[in-house]
Amino acid sequence: MARAGGITNAVNVGIAVQADWENREFISHISLNVRRLFEFLVQFEATTKSKLASLNEKLDTLERRLELLEVQVGTASANPSLFST
Amino acid sequence: MATAAAMPMSREASNYDEISMQQSLMFSDSLKDLKNLRTQLYSAAEYFELSYTNDDQKQMVVETLKDYAIKALVNTVDHLGSVTYKVNDLLDEKVDEVSGTELRVSCIEQVWSDYFNYFVGETMHGANRTKSKYIGCSLDDEDDWHQFRNAVRATIRETPTSSVRETPTPSVRRGRSPSPSPRPPQRSATFSFTSTMPKKELEKRTVSPHRFPLLRSGSVSRPTTPNKSRPTTPTSAGARRRYPSEPRKSASMRIQPEKESPKDIEQFPSKSKRLLKALLSRRKSKKDEMLYTYLDEY
Repeated sequence: MARAGGITNAVNVGIAVQADWENREFISHISLNVRRLFEFLVQFEATTKSKLASLNEKLDTLERRLELLEVQVGTASANPSLFST
Repeated sequence: MATAAAMPMSREASNYDEISMQQSLMFSDSLKDLKNLRTQLYSAAEYFELSYTNDDQKQMVVETLKDYAIKALVNTVDHLGSVTYKVNDLLDEKVDEVSGTELRVSCIEQVWSDYFNYFVGETMHGANRTKSKYIGCSLDDEDDWHQFRNAVRATIRETPTSSVRETPTPSVRRGRSPSPSPRPPQRSATFSFTSTMPKKELEKRTVSPHRFPLLRSGSVSRPTTPNKSRPTTPTSAGARRRYPSEPRKSASMRIQPEKESPKDIEQFPSKSKRLLKALLSRRKSKKDEMLYTYLDEY
């Protein structure tokens, strides 16, 4: 009886260890996917920051060009004699 | 028609506004779901922890937890993918808009620079540009340019009903210089012609009010009238002596009609009329003389 109980306990421990390993595998899969998701989010943040930086630079350049154009047009409208044929 | 054409435009615009509004609403909902997912995951983790410690069927709790974790991860990936796609799309759209705006600003700058350069360049170099207009009209040299300018000034000074000039040659030169086509060969031809003209003829020509006739064919057809009438006249030699048409004939019969003087062209009608009148009077007097001699004989 004691011998059979020992075998049953060993089988139960084996089953428990296997279940534990299965749980660990599942957790590793979940953590791996979460890490991939995190990496994707980091990459997305970098690309979005880069795009926003280039967009900001373009908007700054456009703003300067428009300011220059505005100054030129204002100067020309202040001196209409330049445009009288 | 205009309202019918405007209706689809407004419909398209309203559809575009509605679609963009729906997209923005969906995007905001996705962001809200992502924010709520965090709290849901935390609450789910607490619930499964309590269930695992308090419940007897731990294996069932673990399996439920696994299923929930998988679904939660898939749901999170889905949400994140949707949100990142929308953010990417919005960013690309804004980049395209900025590129289009850059292009339009570049076009405006180009138009402005052309406009500015045109007007300022014309203001700064107006005289040179006016001169360069006439360079294409065979005014390449400075002498030609000055001659043309003097001719224009002389044209402005002179009037068509000007008085009879004292000296023929300078007056003719001044009168011919404002010719519409001031070319050196024309001037040489004019000078040779005017040098052969008698003083009386030149004085009569200056009286002519029409300095620039338009019909050049008149100069070719006009001299034929006195030539045709000349053989019929018995005293053509006398008429020729009184109204010397030989220089005029030699000038008008030239093959180069553009070298003819406008004054010469205009002078032929009055000259021919006078010539015909003189011939007729001469013929009449000659006839009378012949009649008288005939009567005397008989």
